[in-house]
Amino acid sequence: MARDKSSSTSKTGVDRWNSNEGASSKSARKTRRGGNNRRRSTQGRGHMFTLLALAALLIASAVGFIPPAERITQGLDIRGGVSVILTATKTDGTAPTADDMATATAIVQNRVNALGAAETSVQQQGTNSILVQIPGATNADTAIETIGRTGHLEFVRLDAIGDADALAKISAGTSDVKLKEGTYTAFMDGSSIRNSAVAQATTSATGAYAVNVSLDSDGAKTFADVTTELAPTHGQIAIVLDGVVNSAPAVQTAITDGNVSITGNFSLEEAKALKTVLDSGSLPVTLSYSESRVVGPTLGQDSLRQGVFAIAIGGAIVVAYLFFFYQGLGLLTMGSLAVFGIIYLGLLALLSRMGSFALTLPGLAGVVLTTGSAADSSILVLERFREEIRMGRSVRNAAIGGTKEGISTSLDADAVQLVTALALFFMAVGPVKGFGLTTALGILCDLVTMFLFKAPALRLLGMGTIQKHPRFWGIASDLAEAEETLGASASDVQTKKGGVAHA
Amino acid sequence: MRNHFSFEIPFMRYRKVLLTISAVMSVLAIVGLIVRGVTFGIEFQGGTEIDFYDTGAITIDDMREALVAAGEEDPTVQTTTVEGESGFLVRSGTTDPQVATEHADATAAALGLSAESYNVTTIGPDWGADVTRSSLLAFGVAILLIIAYVSIRYEFKMSITAVIALIHDMVIILGIYAWTQIPVTPNVVAALLSTMGFSLYDTVVEFDRTNDNAKTLRDGVHRTYMQICNFSVNEVVVRSINTTITTLVPELAMYFFGGATLKDFAFAMILGELLGTYSSYAVATPLLAIWKTREPRWAKLEARYGEGASTTTVTDA
Repeated sequence: MARDKSSSTSKTGVDRWNSNEGASSKSARKTRRGGNNRRRSTQGRGHMFTLLALAALLIASAVGFIPPAERITQGLDIRGGVSVILTATKTDGTAPTADDMATATAIVQNRVNALGAAETSVQQQGTNSILVQIPGATNADTAIETIGRTGHLEFVRLDAIGDADALAKISAGTSDVKLKEGTYTAFMDGSSIRNSAVAQATTSATGAYAVNVSLDSDGAKTFADVTTELAPTHGQIAIVLDGVVNSAPAVQTAITDGNVSITGNFSLEEAKALKTVLDSGSLPVTLSYSESRVVGPTLGQDSLRQGVFAIAIGGAIVVAYLFFFYQGLGLLTMGSLAVFGIIYLGLLALLSRMGSFALTLPGLAGVVLTTGSAADSSILVLERFREEIRMGRSVRNAAIGGTKEGISTSLDADAVQLVTALALFFMAVGPVKGFGLTTALGILCDLVTMFLFKAPALRLLGMGTIQKHPRFWGIASDLAEAEETLGASASDVQTKKGGVAHA
Repeated sequence: MRNHFSFEIPFMRYRKVLLTISAVMSVLAIVGLIVRGVTFGIEFQGGTEIDFYDTGAITIDDMREALVAAGEEDPTVQTTTVEGESGFLVRSGTTDPQVATEHADATAAALGLSAESYNVTTIGPDWGADVTRSSLLAFGVAILLIIAYVSIRYEFKMSITAVIALIHDMVIILGIYAWTQIPVTPNVVAALLSTMGFSLYDTVVEFDRTNDNAKTLRDGVHRTYMQICNFSVNEVVVRSINTTITTLVPELAMYFFGGATLKDFAFAMILGELLGTYSSYAVATPLLAIWKTREPRWAKLEARYGEGASTTTVTDA
């Protein structure tokens, strides 16, 4: 009775499953007694409760993923665009530090932003790679060229710029003035910068930010000379990155110790942007192309459409086959596949929203693979269920035992698949990671489906409906076989096969 | 008997035929590996792959000429068909993405193709080494974990035969890739790994049943290890066929309707699935039965009740 109580108050499908398991081994051995009816009704209510909880989960998922085209982020190979992996190396052969990588990533981000494409993403991957994704990039050439360019940072005295047009623009405050090659001479380049940092400006009362730059000894000397010359007239020094004037601060005092502070009422973002510019001339690492994929925008969509079509056709054939083979019980398989699909899409939409998932073509292959496995685990349960009936168990007990044994076999199968999926996700590099991820997620959804749908649904049906219509549910032949065996020699069944075998 | 058939399929009677077929396939595969060798995808060795789609009436010679004119040195050109539209798959040793896209642009322009009708993938030479190392690592770790799992759960002779079946599958699949010269990409490795794990599991389920039956089955019909193996195979064969069909059907759909990437995955999965299921019955189980029959206890039973002694169709007493 204590067990009954616990099963009627427990909340999750897993608990319910476990508690039924205990009950089933008992009721399987014993004949019906008083109390059994009551147990049956509490279990029935428990299964109903699990299914209701599942219904709520399904509605939440459906709300989350509809419409899937918007809610599930698409990878570059599906949206089309340019995807590049850059690998960083250091000239002295040491491994790039986390700082180096952060700086390099910021610099690449800057270059990518300059392309003006929307929704670009620049992420560090592993310890020494940077993944750049530019969706829908139509001009792959420009994109690849811009990302790969090493920034050339120069410091130019304004009075060393020969282009009058450019000078006028700079003094008018126009941003990003382009200087023609040969019209200016730099007195120092980015290689003299030892490091740069963003700090609160010491001279500012408003809390504006400044960028502090420290120069090496050669740079300090040059800078001292120039600033001593310019300070009396507050002459300007243009900071030029790849021929474009980024800013042109005026010299306030002579700077002789190589510690330059650039102020200008910067916000934190502005200061950081300037720091990135200053750093890009002295990129701490050398970036080289490791992988570059250029996908035409319509082609990716075609691939997605083909993939979805393949899943739909495959799913339909599987369901039809299972109806043919298991008749009414095929409904259960169809239900499990539907439940599986909805939870899966919901999970993918959730992860997309959190920004940690994008569906790629290898990922889509993973979806196809796990859809097959989800159908698989239904078969394990159904086969076991029918086998138990053939062994002479009542439909109700066969439903309980069949789900228990079938699910335990599925758990083993899932464990094997999860091992490979996780090995791929964590160890492989490149797009194949996406395959590992969707496979692993699919397995999780299959587990949820087993406990929240397959087990309670089959057990609920096993309490009466299936018994009443054995022909519709496709178990008539199994019942007949059980009867035959039992009739032939009742004792033989026990000796023939002791205990419970694996499905 | 609890299978869906009214008779027992005599798998074990044909064990020598099945093992011979497997041996012949393995030898053919090894010959293929030696004679033709496996082509690896650009992901492993660096290079460029350009997929042209919807190329209409352009011939393979036109394509090659245009590529060479664009500056591509010695490209490999193959024709492809996706959804009835013809296309080309071009591979070359170019490892600079900028050069590769320029060549692709020039080729498309020369042939009058739109700028959206092709994909260009370029892999740097060092990256290839990285990909190879990480793929091998993932592959090795996964296989070792699976083997460890099988060894812990089951008897020594079972894990050895299961692993032999696995190696048999690998060799034949590699042989197929060698004979067809389809490039092995990281996607192929991933697909094989996931189906192989699954198929190895098929063997395990079968062995599990055999183990159980060897201990508890006392029906007076199945006495020798051969007979018990055969009975066990029959018990799980329907399940096995059904699970293979349900996983195979979506993969076939992916193969016939999917684009290049999905086809790549699907082909490897289909091979892994079919061979994995086949080897469970045709390699692992017969080998186990032959090996176990040599144990004194089973040898004695074999001598009394085996094929040589009487027929296996003794009716229930």
